[in-house]
Amino acid sequence: MNSTLALARAEIRRLGRNKRYSIFSVGLPVVLYLVVARSVQHYDVYGVAYAAYYMIAMASVGAFSSALTGNAQRISQERKDGWVRQLRLTALPANAYVVAKIIASMVITVPSIVIVLLLGRFYGGVHMELWKWFAVGGAIWIGSLTFTALAVAIGYRFMPDSVQPIAMFAYFVMSILGGLWFALSGVLGKIGRVLPTYQITRIGTDLISSRPVPVTAYITILAWFAAFVVLAVLAVRRTAETV
Amino acid sequence: MIQGLTRETGAASGAPVVSFEKVRKHYGHVKAVDGLTMELRPGETVAFLGPNGAGKSTSLDMLLNLRKPTGGRIRMFGSDPYHAIKNGRVGAMLQSGGLMPEVTVRELVTLVTSFHPRPLPVEQTLKRAGIAEFAGQRVDKLSGGQTQRVRFALAIVGDCDLIVLDEPTAAMDVETRQSFWANMKAEVAEGRTLLFATHYLEEADQAADRIIVINRGRLLADGTPSQIKARAGAKRISFRLDRIDEPFLLGLPALVNVEIRHDLVQLQSSDSDRTLYALLDAGYRPREIEVSSLGLEQAFIAITAEDDHSRTRDTSGSTLQPAGGYASNSR
Repeated sequence: MNSTLALARAEIRRLGRNKRYSIFSVGLPVVLYLVVARSVQHYDVYGVAYAAYYMIAMASVGAFSSALTGNAQRISQERKDGWVRQLRLTALPANAYVVAKIIASMVITVPSIVIVLLLGRFYGGVHMELWKWFAVGGAIWIGSLTFTALAVAIGYRFMPDSVQPIAMFAYFVMSILGGLWFALSGVLGKIGRVLPTYQITRIGTDLISSRPVPVTAYITILAWFAAFVVLAVLAVRRTAETV
Repeated sequence: MIQGLTRETGAASGAPVVSFEKVRKHYGHVKAVDGLTMELRPGETVAFLGPNGAGKSTSLDMLLNLRKPTGGRIRMFGSDPYHAIKNGRVGAMLQSGGLMPEVTVRELVTLVTSFHPRPLPVEQTLKRAGIAEFAGQRVDKLSGGQTQRVRFALAIVGDCDLIVLDEPTAAMDVETRQSFWANMKAEVAEGRTLLFATHYLEEADQAADRIIVINRGRLLADGTPSQIKARAGAKRISFRLDRIDEPFLLGLPALVNVEIRHDLVQLQSSDSDRTLYALLDAGYRPREIEVSSLGLEQAFIAITAEDDHSRTRDTSGSTLQPAGGYASNSR
């Protein structure tokens, strides 16, 4: 486990140096929130003020995009470059690479969530009990874990050139249909409800508006998580021979 | 798991460090490795010698648990490759392969050192690999030669008993190659076993105690450099002859190869005495007769040519020239 943690630490340090990460995963959601949150007044979404809905949406967007597209691209590129094969030659245990990636992803996602939530509190005027803040942040964090699993599946299954469009496509479907860019209604809205992104957003808004969270929300997220984990395990096993 | 097996104990017991038993690797019809059997004893420096595509890299990949054999068994230090590697008994350097970007050389070496059960001091590793001077540079900003040296550093971060190198000097110039082997001598001096794959004959000749010749996935020869050189085709007979009867020359016993230029004849023979006697007994009196030992290159060519010819004969059913020692028209 120590080796895995050492690798995870190195991954975190490395991600911290990556400017693209800071700009897209933290900077972009922050800027969008600052610009948009206060400009939409007296418009409720899912039963909460727009600033509250948008806070959850932007915190999710930052966390999920890095968890999904960032990880998938890096995993695929590192496989192609031969770094993963190089690790197999060291005393690092098998599977430690994937575990370290997941740990690093979960750690690095925290700032992007926390900063937007803080903005929501102090700029957007969102108020709720402290434990609910942790619950909302926690739900989004679990969401990014789910998308990290999908990222492992995509990164192990496809070559770097294909990973970019595939991961982006998955991210757009999840985020747009899930209502992270704007609330959907009608047919698209109905389709979006099966997505984990929608459910996570609803958990957040329900907590804020003190509504009971339906059990189906948790079940849906869990089901998607299990499905992505299965895909990831299959994808990793498939490449056991050569990489 | 084998623990506490020191190099000294290994040498005393004589247990093989590596053993391949009838190892096969097939890709559909293609037999990349076809029944390879061999053993490495502690403290040896062994070269896998063969042309590109001979199966050297595939064999090393299987040894290093990067590929699974189609058949046969590979043992390292008495256990399977995966456990031997994870116990830090093996340090390996491949011919190519990327490294972790966005970290410095020192950070990378420190990281991989932390994986090893018997790590060596990082600064020492950097010096031994000759990368101390650019240890602060980012890994993705290095040249090809520098990257290869970093890869070598990663192979020696810990106290291992076996070092495996795949074409270690392929991208190096002569000077770098020489200093590399000087470094390797120091590594091996402490009793480590070294296995390296190469297609450079001189390198195998100079650096190895023992050469395993591989071609088309099969082991063709296994011996010391002198033993290999002494094998088929290790003597050259050259002479001048005024009237050259080609069919006769091609039918000489123990013949491996013939080159004729005007009146100058150069024969390669696996038994120079027999060939020479046959030539003289037939009444020829060649001038300027020279019989000399061939270098490893000629021995290698002869060994692989012999193998190619015997294979082609097996498949086509007819002999090709030169007929070597198997000719139907013998004298």
